[in-house]
Amino acid sequence: MKRTSVLRWIVALAALAVVLFPFYWMLNTSLKPQTEIFLSPPTFLSSHWSLDAYATVLTQRPVGRYFLNSLIVALGTTALSVVLAALAAYGFTRFFPRGATPFIVLLLFTKMLPETLLIIPYFRLMSDLGLLNTYAALVLAYSSFALPFSVWMLIGFFRSIPRDIDEAAMIDGATYLQAFWRVILPLARPGLVAVALFTFLIAWNSYVWALVLTTDSSMYVLSVGIANMVGEYRVQWNELMAAAVIAAVPVMVLYSLLERHLVNAITAGAVKG
Amino acid sequence: MRSSSWTRRRRVGYAFIAPVFLFLCAVVLFPLGHAFYTSLLRVRGLSSTFVGFANYARVLTDDAFWHSLGVSLAFTTSCVLLHMAIGLGLALLLDGLRFARTALRIAFLTPWMVAPAVGATIWLWLLEPQFGVVNYLLVAWGAVKAPLAWLGEPALAFASVVAVDTWRGVPFVMLLMLAGLQTIPREQYEAAAIDGADAWQRFRYVTLPNLRYLLVVASTLDVINTIRHYDIIGVMTAGGPAGATEVLPVLLYNTAFRGNRFGEAAAIGVLLLAIVLAFSLLHIRAARLER
Amino acid sequence: MRNIRKLAAAVACLACVAAAAQQPIVLQWQTANLTESQYEPVWKATIAEFEAANPGIKVEPVLVARKDHWTKFVAAAQAKKAPCIVTVDLTTAAYNGYLMPLDKYWNAEPQEFRNAWSPAMLSASKWKGQLYGLPIWGGTYAEIYNRDLVTKAGLDPNKPPKTWAEYASWAKKLTGNDQWATAVLGGKTDTTTRVLLMWIWSNGGEAFNADMTEATFAKNPKSLEAIKFYLGLVKDGVAAPAPTTTNYLEQTNLFAQQKIATMRNAYWAIAKVNGDNPALKGKVFVAPGPANVPNAPTLTSVAASSISASCPNPEAAWKFIKFDAGKKWTVERAKVANWMPTRNDMADDPAFKADPLLAQFVTIGNNARSYPLPSPIWAEIAANDIVDAVQRALLSPEKTEEIFRDLDAKVTKKLKDV
Repeated sequence: MKRTSVLRWIVALAALAVVLFPFYWMLNTSLKPQTEIFLSPPTFLSSHWSLDAYATVLTQRPVGRYFLNSLIVALGTTALSVVLAALAAYGFTRFFPRGATPFIVLLLFTKMLPETLLIIPYFRLMSDLGLLNTYAALVLAYSSFALPFSVWMLIGFFRSIPRDIDEAAMIDGATYLQAFWRVILPLARPGLVAVALFTFLIAWNSYVWALVLTTDSSMYVLSVGIANMVGEYRVQWNELMAAAVIAAVPVMVLYSLLERHLVNAITAGAVKG
Repeated sequence: MRSSSWTRRRRVGYAFIAPVFLFLCAVVLFPLGHAFYTSLLRVRGLSSTFVGFANYARVLTDDAFWHSLGVSLAFTTSCVLLHMAIGLGLALLLDGLRFARTALRIAFLTPWMVAPAVGATIWLWLLEPQFGVVNYLLVAWGAVKAPLAWLGEPALAFASVVAVDTWRGVPFVMLLMLAGLQTIPREQYEAAAIDGADAWQRFRYVTLPNLRYLLVVASTLDVINTIRHYDIIGVMTAGGPAGATEVLPVLLYNTAFRGNRFGEAAAIGVLLLAIVLAFSLLHIRAARLER
Repeated sequence: MRNIRKLAAAVACLACVAAAAQQPIVLQWQTANLTESQYEPVWKATIAEFEAANPGIKVEPVLVARKDHWTKFVAAAQAKKAPCIVTVDLTTAAYNGYLMPLDKYWNAEPQEFRNAWSPAMLSASKWKGQLYGLPIWGGTYAEIYNRDLVTKAGLDPNKPPKTWAEYASWAKKLTGNDQWATAVLGGKTDTTTRVLLMWIWSNGGEAFNADMTEATFAKNPKSLEAIKFYLGLVKDGVAAPAPTTTNYLEQTNLFAQQKIATMRNAYWAIAKVNGDNPALKGKVFVAPGPANVPNAPTLTSVAASSISASCPNPEAAWKFIKFDAGKKWTVERAKVANWMPTRNDMADDPAFKADPLLAQFVTIGNNARSYPLPSPIWAEIAANDIVDAVQRALLSPEKTEEIFRDLDAKVTKKLKDV
């Protein structure tokens, strides 16, 4: 018993080393001075470590603004996605149970086209709607990405909530919408949290849409800001990595706090189908 | 009486699912339709001529397309198999650990939390032949004599992008599997143990059957995500060397934005969509049948 | 009394009209260089001064990563919403109808303004006889040497190699422990093609026929010979390993870390080298690349400012382009970002005289062919097809001729299809 446990730990730690090494390197590079970055042999722990790159990135580039934009877009996408997915999942499980699976397949179908092809029509659509350089354009574009997974998970979740609860709520005179809002949604909270986390992640890290749909640099999101730091003639790698670390931190914090819900949700809602 | 309340019920149901349908029509179906339509045009800048299926004919008779398709299939198969195997393996590993579960889970989820392009950039560096840490460590430990050109040689480059994509893609599968493992009733394991099953048999006859549904879902989603994935290969090799890693999304991007042949690119995209759709439907049907 | 009231009303009315007419014109300006950190102070100053001198016009910079510059431009151009002032692959953009011809603005300028650009320089910005851009800056390529490594190998820095044979013997001496003479570019960007073209020209060969309808990489024996020699540097062991992943960035890194003694690059590389390794400041020297024929040209990549076809304010855009092409900013760009002037009246400028390296690049650039080559499908040929052939040839050197014959066929077919 003990021996297998130790073995497990050894394997786990070895795997962890491989998984986390790139992040360690990201941090390491962000703390080094420019002249040390391409040294051969590379330095793992440097006496010249400093937070200069972070200071430069935060003061000389509007990283704070990019961060805020990313946050607004990600939260907006999450809100829209969760609402759409929850309404759809409820609608299907309660009213059209046999339509649930075909609908999920339809949603999957929409994801099968490579992103590249959607760039130009999206731009034209948003341009015609007058939504260029707005948060709305990005929110609308991103909301479609996470829908298949979100709807699938919430359908599973709602299916596991028995109809009796709806009916009990409606006996007291509530409408379907009220039953949905007041009774079912709170029961589905872990599922909603899982969907929210998943959607937030996708929206936070997405790049191509923000690249194309925003031209005003005060509307840029973090992923665009980071990409713009890769010049051809000079790349300040330490600053680039510092910006990447700043971009990764909120997601990690969010996931640490809510990870429990994520696993519970998948467990409860999605496993049985 | 009954029929009117039934109709009313239906109407309420439509009201619930209407928002998502409207959203899909506007934001998804329009661009999809545009892509389909563009595949029937020969586009030169702002002017285009209708050419019917000529683009498809061109694409299907082009060696580059078939080569790319082959690379895509090889890449997707290797990646998805690795994602599933390692994801399940890690889930089994973590499930049995008592200590620091949350911390470990978050740690293993981290590759998923970083944008693929950023992760690919870091790996690009780690694998750099002269200045990369991987070569440095391998040479220092005596595992290899001279630095390897990880992305410079066809076979190594293919293996490298598969490895990096595995790094990116395992966390999601691991998460799903972890959730699935938690729902397997203890009694089934105990019953199997009483019947004299060893660890491998318990895995095969208790764990796997219980996870079947999740495995099908995870692998379908994974295939769809992996076959259309552009970032990692785009950043690390741009399809090189000599086309060894030129998967369909890379070919498509190059055709659209380097070759400026949007009609042809759209045709490639539609073909890719057809392939993925066919696969998904078959996959789901096969899983259903076995049930 | 009533007259004063009437007067007041009239004045108020005029003020209203004037205010409405004062809506500033907003010009969007997109070039991949806006995200180059060393250029930032210069372009910010350019915009500030222009806006101060032209109160009704505002210039809005559009920042984009270099690798995505064309994608973003095309997405906007397709919806007829491209930025007014752009620097893009001119022939391709003109061919696709994304740019506006500038002849009427150009011809309206005084002769002395127009004289600053030679016909050869202007032809790089013409498509089917019409002018589509004003050349703003260029990058001239030359062979850059590390003085210390050269002297350490017992070679004379004042006598850089002029022929291939001399270069080969230098290369052998410059290769040693964990150090190579040079790097062969084989990565998947068009810098690979640029260097390949220069080697072909240095042997008197041609990669294409005169009107760009046929590729002659293998067809022209001098071209093939040059390709074999250049790519053969890897086989001979004098070039750094892993050439198929060596792009501009990797090559400059190698040079900065003193792992290669020489590189074929432009003046902008030196700024990066000095940034990465301050110990190398002042320790480089420059010479034209080795050649087997007299007067072999080097390569100058030309960047021009163009006006997009959908621009609603082309006159204002032309004003800015002229302003940006002025002498002051030409000097600033050269000093800060190492971008060479395209004007031919800068030779007497003190800034150019003060920096000997810069002066040398200007001299070398007097015998240069402009890049990109004028074909509407150049982007694809240069960054996909030619690079693919180079990579294949590096991986299977014995098949070089066959590979480049295939390239000739493939590219000729594409060129004829245009």
